[in-house]
Amino acid sequence: MFYTNMVLITIYRFNYRATAYMVKNGFYQFLNWFDERAWYPLGRIVGGTVYPGLMLTSGSIHYILHLLHINVHIRDICVFLAPVFSGLTAISTYLLTKELWSAGAGLFAACFIAIVPGYISRSVAGSYDNEGIAIFALQFTYYLWIKSVKTGSIFWAVAAALSYFYMVSAWGGYVFIINLIPLHVFVLLLMGRYSNKLFVSYTTFYILGLILSMQIPFVGFQPIRTSEHMAAGGVFALMFAVCFLKHLQSVTSKSEFKSLVIFGTLIAAGVVFLAVVLFTYAGYIAPWSGRFYSLWDTGYAKIHIPIIASVSEHQPTTWFSFFFDLHILVSTFPAGLWYCIKNINDERVFVVLYALSAVYFAGVMVRLMLTLTPVVCILSGIAFSNLIEFYLREDENGRVEESEEEEHTTPSKRLYDKAGRVPKMKHEQQKESSESSNAIGANLRSIVSVVVLLLLMLFAVHCTWVTSNAYSSPSVVLASYGADGSRQILDDFREGYYWLSQNTDDSARVMSWWDYGYQIAGMANRTTLVDNNTWNNSHIALVGKAMSSNETAAHEIMTMLDVDYVLVIFGGVIGYSGDDINKFLWMVRIAEGEHPKDIKESDYFTEQGEFRVDAEGSPTLLNCLMYKLSYYRFGELKLDYRSPAGFDRTRNAVIGNKDFHLTYLEEAYTTEHWLVRIYRVKKKDEFNRPRIPVASRVIKSPNFVSKKSTKRKKGTIKNKPVVVKGKRV
Amino acid sequence: MYKTVLILLCGALITASEKVNKQLVLKNVDRSIDLTTQLVKITATITLENTGMDTVRNFLLVNEPNTPEERISYLGAKEANKYELKIAKAKFEEHPDKTGYSIRLNQPLEAGRSITVTLEQILTKSLQPYPTSITQKDKQLVRYFGNHYFYTPYTVIKQKTDVMLSSRTIESYTKLKPVSQSDSTVSYGPYNNIEPFTEDQMVVHFENNSPFLTVTRLERSIEISHWGNIAVEENIEIRHTGALLKGPFSRYDYQRDTGSSHHSVKAYRTILPAAAHSIYYRDSNGNISTSAVKPYKDWIQLELRPRFPLFGGWKTSYTLGYSVPSYQYLFKKPSGEYVLIMRLLDHVFDDMHVEELITSVILPVGVSDVKVTPPCEVERLEDEVTYKYLDNLGRKVIRLRKTNLVEQHIQDLEISYNWQQLMLLHEPILIALALFLMFIIVIIYVRLDFSLSKPEHSKKE
Repeated sequence: MFYTNMVLITIYRFNYRATAYMVKNGFYQFLNWFDERAWYPLGRIVGGTVYPGLMLTSGSIHYILHLLHINVHIRDICVFLAPVFSGLTAISTYLLTKELWSAGAGLFAACFIAIVPGYISRSVAGSYDNEGIAIFALQFTYYLWIKSVKTGSIFWAVAAALSYFYMVSAWGGYVFIINLIPLHVFVLLLMGRYSNKLFVSYTTFYILGLILSMQIPFVGFQPIRTSEHMAAGGVFALMFAVCFLKHLQSVTSKSEFKSLVIFGTLIAAGVVFLAVVLFTYAGYIAPWSGRFYSLWDTGYAKIHIPIIASVSEHQPTTWFSFFFDLHILVSTFPAGLWYCIKNINDERVFVVLYALSAVYFAGVMVRLMLTLTPVVCILSGIAFSNLIEFYLREDENGRVEESEEEEHTTPSKRLYDKAGRVPKMKHEQQKESSESSNAIGANLRSIVSVVVLLLLMLFAVHCTWVTSNAYSSPSVVLASYGADGSRQILDDFREGYYWLSQNTDDSARVMSWWDYGYQIAGMANRTTLVDNNTWNNSHIALVGKAMSSNETAAHEIMTMLDVDYVLVIFGGVIGYSGDDINKFLWMVRIAEGEHPKDIKESDYFTEQGEFRVDAEGSPTLLNCLMYKLSYYRFGELKLDYRSPAGFDRTRNAVIGNKDFHLTYLEEAYTTEHWLVRIYRVKKKDEFNRPRIPVASRVIKSPNFVSKKSTKRKKGTIKNKPVVVKGKRV
Repeated sequence: MYKTVLILLCGALITASEKVNKQLVLKNVDRSIDLTTQLVKITATITLENTGMDTVRNFLLVNEPNTPEERISYLGAKEANKYELKIAKAKFEEHPDKTGYSIRLNQPLEAGRSITVTLEQILTKSLQPYPTSITQKDKQLVRYFGNHYFYTPYTVIKQKTDVMLSSRTIESYTKLKPVSQSDSTVSYGPYNNIEPFTEDQMVVHFENNSPFLTVTRLERSIEISHWGNIAVEENIEIRHTGALLKGPFSRYDYQRDTGSSHHSVKAYRTILPAAAHSIYYRDSNGNISTSAVKPYKDWIQLELRPRFPLFGGWKTSYTLGYSVPSYQYLFKKPSGEYVLIMRLLDHVFDDMHVEELITSVILPVGVSDVKVTPPCEVERLEDEVTYKYLDNLGRKVIRLRKTNLVEQHIQDLEISYNWQQLMLLHEPILIALALFLMFIIVIIYVRLDFSLSKPEHSKKE
């Protein structure tokens, strides 16, 4: 199935719009861009609230191509940026795995990351999002960091800092790097693996990375003023302390040194801790942000910031999605992890930490599956490479078994000794003793290799299936399949947005739930009240309040906010489950957070605590604006012969409030399958005078017919009082 | 901005002052006014008689006072339904306030002889919706303001007029006797011995649910590639110019109302050349998935459905593009000159009305001696230069503009130019050179050592 470029990019319309703006007006204009079409009436400073890396990347590709007279439209660059960068990600994953283990493992890892669904979801054509380029930057920074730890050269450390800078410019996830690398250093210090190499690479990386990251307007002074970045600074100080102690060690005696170390460490740690606490208290350092807390306490967001919890991407990950996104890699990556722990060295400490932290975060939020995917690929690559190396190689006699030290700077013959441990891991108990003999029969070899190959094949099949089914159809175009297997395209979203763009005033303000903010701004080019950049919770709550109040109260809010049109998504006709009624409880919750007096979540449930739209639903729900806008005139519609009129296919119920009229709004447009419904807010003078159909209008004799003619010159007086003699008037 | 505006003339369109020849008499005028669509199509069959002594070479046509000139989209004259007559704009010595045309006869009309001429006139924006705004389920009523008599500087001996309407529902019509109505036709006349310049307003108020669609702007670009392809792209802005929609649009009512006689427009048909391929239909939001292509023997029919039905006052815009093989439209003359013959305007929908047309022809790289021969009077805008893939020289763009067009303007535009065949290889050679240079640089780079210290392995050795 082919979709044009424009469809593919629709979800990421904001990024595209920003890029197009930058290409048109230049980078400095872009930094100063104030978007008055979003967050009406507040507006949004785009330049300072966006990670510009994505736009800069595609903008500079556009610039270079145009220098060469290859006149590619910026849209095409945006569409194909993610696939190109996923290629680069595969290369950097190869390099990273090669540094960690061997070239063979690197190839495996690169192959895995090329097709694994967890990453494909962000790297299909048209996925023009920060994550697309950020994963490349992430992997590449790690590669350069490992390289610099291994060589201790300033060159690699500087390269790592530059790559880190690129990452900062691209994605908010850079915080992961700036915490993981210090953690790596810290653990190395704890393990007593301090070396001058480490000192050189970390100090260079930290200072350069700090200064560079502060150049991004959106990041600004955060690296020295927020708690998220404090760990890196602390490790930096610790590094110097350790270095100083090492120096003292060389000049003092052993006993003196011991007490000095204990005393010194305690004091240093105490001072640093106190300083941080003091600064936080004084307000110089911002405490942990709410989003960060939700990483530690999964219930935190639900209570305090419902807006984060309302996004499906921020839900805790289910086991199903682990398997769906990673397939067999889920089960093989612990094996790789085990290998790394078994044969630990400086850089493998890093990958172990990377894996453990990423697994934790991925468990907290579906979205962070993305950071887990690369490390899973790396470790599974290591596991598979070992397995294959052991079972596929022809048995060489005189294998050296006793060498246990692991120094894998080169993937040489030695590697393959290590591979000899595979059976130990798989069948640890029974093989321990017989390992020295290490005689594996040809049958076993072939069985194992066939099974492994089969597994890999299944993995490939799964990846292709997931990619083609789940990740490559744009969510803006829905497809349904008829009984005969024929495909029907439901293009209602674009129909509705295009109607808005063509047939409303250019300055019209459209109120909708924030999910559709970017789409309206991008596809309909109209001013929105709230959008996917959910920076202002109270504004969103106000929209939520309008949606959950009754029509009169909602009209007050809407006139306050100058709303011209209201857009709702309604899936009841075709059975689309992602519609506004299903999201409605979140609107209520968010509104309740800001306006607890007016909106109460419990009012929207029945006495049994159910959320129902049928006749038994709570009256508050049946009369709120969202309900009315979704179901306006739906009660008359009969979908097929069997079901009664007003049967909602999404919720499988006959709606409870069928016959109602709208006082303050009128239907402006509804798309073919009723998916997008747009209402016009009536002006003040329109709704107090109900419209009377022409037929039933009574017109008070509009023109008085004069009886005066050429013959009768005497006129008559209209409403002349008739005087009858003998009677009082 | 400086802008060269060149009026290109075809035929002999010279504004001249004319005198009304009193010797000419219109023996019979048979008019039919077709109001079934959004256009007003007036066909008049005139029998001219020369009652004087001298031979007559041309006769005059005067615009009606209530028909401004910008409403007249097309005017054609034929002698005996066969031979096209030349039409020139004219002014009148006796009536300086009036404008009109002078039609030149192919053969001078000798004294005492008569001749039959068929005039075809197409007026746009002459059907006014009344009431001007209606609700979704109302019918669309329009009014036509015309003249009961044929407006002419000559005496008319006998004339009659048939007004053809799109439906039987007629609200009202002026009744200048003798008049009769049968089915959907109103017949006026015959009227005898009408003086020159007689006016009497005819008003017909009737139901017309035919699509009132106006192409407000059509940008047609034709790109020639000498590799054998001509790419055509049309950017079209369409507006429903019928009665405005008043009040809400209800999808429920719209779905229930399946009758075909409705004033909204759901879909329309566009005819493309038979050789067209790689057709696309999209707008700024991407492909519009509601369209169907039907190939016929001599043309390709596209059934286009805009994303939403068009009601009065609603508009939409889209891009339609296709490719045709160049051998059908691009010819090489024996003198080595290339000639492109393509339509200035192509079909958008039946009985269309285009308010503004801009046709731009993108010529290949390195053309010279460009000659443009338009089929009718057009305005030539300043030439532009555009850059396509890998163009370092740029391509010349010829731009033509015309307003108020109808189907009759679908005529061939001719552009001839000189061009070197060698220019075809210009870009491949450029790429080859660039790649060659790149490889040379890589080769040199690989063979040089830029490092400050010697590599370690050489130290060991």
